[in-house]
Amino acid sequence: MRVELLEKIEGEAFLDMECERGRIQNIYVRFPHYRGIEEILRSRPALDALVINPRICGICGHAHLIATAMVLEKVSGIVPTQKAKKIREITRFCEIVQNHLKWFYLVIFVQLGLPFDMDRVQRIIREINKLLAIFGGQWPHSSYALPGGVTCDPTQLEILQASHIAQSLQREFGLLFGDFDIKNLQKDLKKLFDKLNRLDVLHLGKGYDRFIVFGSDGYVQNAKLLHGKIRPARLEYVKEQEQPKSFAKRVTYKGKFYETGPLARTMIRGGTFVKRLHRRYKDSLTTRIFARIYEAAQLLQNIKNNLSTLDLSQESAIEASLQDGKASIAIEAARGSLIHTVEIENQRIKNYSIVTPTQWNLSNGSKDNLSLIQKALVGAPCTHTDLIFRTFDICSVCTTH
Amino acid sequence: MNREHLRSLFTTKSARVDTNKGEEYYNSLYKRCRARLDELKKITPMRNIDIAQVLEDEGISRRDFLKWASATTAMLMLPASFTPLVAEAAELMNRIPVIWIELQDCAGNSEAFIRADGPKVDEIILEIISLEFHETLMAPAGHQAEAQLHDAVEHFRGKYLLFVEGAIPVGRGREWCTIGASGETFEEHLTKLANDAAAIVAVGTCATFGGVPAAAPNPTGAVGVMDVVNNKPIINIPACPANPANMVGVILHYVLTGQIPELDSLLRPKFAFGYRIHDNCERRAHFDAGEFVEEWGDEGAKNNFCLYKMGCKGPMTFNNCSIVRYNESVNWPIGAGHGCIGCSEPGFWDKYAYERPMADANIKMAPNGGVEKSVDQFGLALLTAAGVGIAIHAAASAIGGKKEGEEK
Repeated sequence: MRVELLEKIEGEAFLDMECERGRIQNIYVRFPHYRGIEEILRSRPALDALVINPRICGICGHAHLIATAMVLEKVSGIVPTQKAKKIREITRFCEIVQNHLKWFYLVIFVQLGLPFDMDRVQRIIREINKLLAIFGGQWPHSSYALPGGVTCDPTQLEILQASHIAQSLQREFGLLFGDFDIKNLQKDLKKLFDKLNRLDVLHLGKGYDRFIVFGSDGYVQNAKLLHGKIRPARLEYVKEQEQPKSFAKRVTYKGKFYETGPLARTMIRGGTFVKRLHRRYKDSLTTRIFARIYEAAQLLQNIKNNLSTLDLSQESAIEASLQDGKASIAIEAARGSLIHTVEIENQRIKNYSIVTPTQWNLSNGSKDNLSLIQKALVGAPCTHTDLIFRTFDICSVCTTH
Repeated sequence: MNREHLRSLFTTKSARVDTNKGEEYYNSLYKRCRARLDELKKITPMRNIDIAQVLEDEGISRRDFLKWASATTAMLMLPASFTPLVAEAAELMNRIPVIWIELQDCAGNSEAFIRADGPKVDEIILEIISLEFHETLMAPAGHQAEAQLHDAVEHFRGKYLLFVEGAIPVGRGREWCTIGASGETFEEHLTKLANDAAAIVAVGTCATFGGVPAAAPNPTGAVGVMDVVNNKPIINIPACPANPANMVGVILHYVLTGQIPELDSLLRPKFAFGYRIHDNCERRAHFDAGEFVEEWGDEGAKNNFCLYKMGCKGPMTFNNCSIVRYNESVNWPIGAGHGCIGCSEPGFWDKYAYERPMADANIKMAPNGGVEKSVDQFGLALLTAAGVGIAIHAAASAIGGKKEGEEK
């Protein structure tokens, strides 16, 4: 038994590994950090969650903010305007795009020792956050969304400013990645592919080829993909259980482990680039890495579409009176589906439960029912553990919350 | 010496910001800074970086750089004559080693830090300062990273600035968080690194006051750095996330003077936390005029009226957000129409974390009641008698034919 330490994942994880003849036999993931956010939320006034929840994670805090506003809306039957929904999408997509870029370069490229244009990447990230801040006030940890809508009331001028940024970002993306053409990979995509090829790892890290997306928005629709069939994914089948020796909880859907995140979303959404990759490499680390960066480019287009179809005459926020009750919602965050469930009694939180994307991807299973990460790692060369892990874009702060 | 006693040492006077300390003071400070910079120049940096070259490569003109330097000089509350020194200090930032550790955190401050704003200050940060260790940003991981941390501490013993992000759980058996293969607790980890540091910079509200992990019932017994470390100078830069401009400011100040900046009773640098959000808020005129947002999305909201009645904590919160703003100054929370949540104040997670005005909350005013009481008489009167104040405003708006029956 070897205990490996996995760092640089916004926190750390322990991997209890068994290696034999250079191959991984068994693996168990433990998360050693804990803050107790769900305990903190209990018995607070419902709106406090808007301040506490984004601070679960400095990387995807914005998704937590929007999820909190949405779950409180669902409890009280409040439906915000299209305008508010679209603005929330714009800011959430911005968060996802910059996350993917940072992961692609600061994690994957650094891990593989590939050179890249740090200044350009930094510039793009800064610009995306600027776009987000035009609507959200600041990033990370913005507070502009609340039950009923958003607090910002953009004018045409702000839309113009934001569109201008989105436009220039698309140009920058083109300079980094070229066209996403599987037959003719260019620039950094080619650099990456060649490196993976040289390392002979293109086919490593395959999971179950089962995908799940709980959220629904302008980019992807709720679905699960199993044996090539697309069916609705229903929150009532999600089960969360404590795991020994770890602060993270195991999560399954009807007893099965599913992959969530960009690969799941792009598979469910379709599109030739990822489909072709998948045909050749299945759900290996190659498809997983490329799907994430491809998604970033797609989301930029969605941001542009939303900006051009915003109806500024609609209300930013509608009247919202909070009621007691229970509700569950899901939203797509950078690493996959994020589920918030709340029960409110006498205007106070009786229970708040959060299932984060990394829980889906990094649960521990049993010998006869391996989890996704175990499936991806068992049998793989021990030397590539780190790389396979990182293709899931792990975030440990969120996972244990 | 306990914390309460320390706090009592810095009492009322400490909250006063003296923006003009007189010619004599600045002349002698100038001399000291000059000598310090000359001293630093003699040190061979770990990595030899020519800032002029870096800037030129990036297409940043000397003029842009000096513009940044003069803005930063003003932020540090130094006279304009210090601008060349600040510029020089920026160029010497690679002489000061920085070790950055993350404890019970969400990485939000690291996120804010790596896109530190200003014209290309990120270059200054990433290439000029000597970030010797940062577990999320650096290349090596696992055991390799631990070795690197060990090396950095050995090499820069007593010289490095230790940046701490995240709270320290000291509750119930201390089993909440461990770090590294040895499984040492966050508290042990911090104490060990603090012992060899020149000074500690606690970044973000978690590291300063415990932050969200310390929210009631504080499941892990989370506390801030100043509750754990008592043998080193500590600089607190609260806010969630802390503003990168203030982080850069503190490093620059240290490079420039060799000392930590002047602090207030909560160990916050006065250059950043000497004023309240309210004092420089872009919506302040609406507060003074009694024009408030009464409900999300109403006419007042569309016209950028004051958010006090929607629960803005700007009048109780000491920070420079209203001047420095966020994300390359493009916006800030109040600019996006949401009130301040007081994220840089101790206990904000319990005291301020709701969307209600202070009148219902029975909260004391911020210590010392603000900085320049005289300019603030109207606001203060309204705040201390907040219930009355709001009632008057509500009545006035009802008479004025606006919404009624909304105030509870």
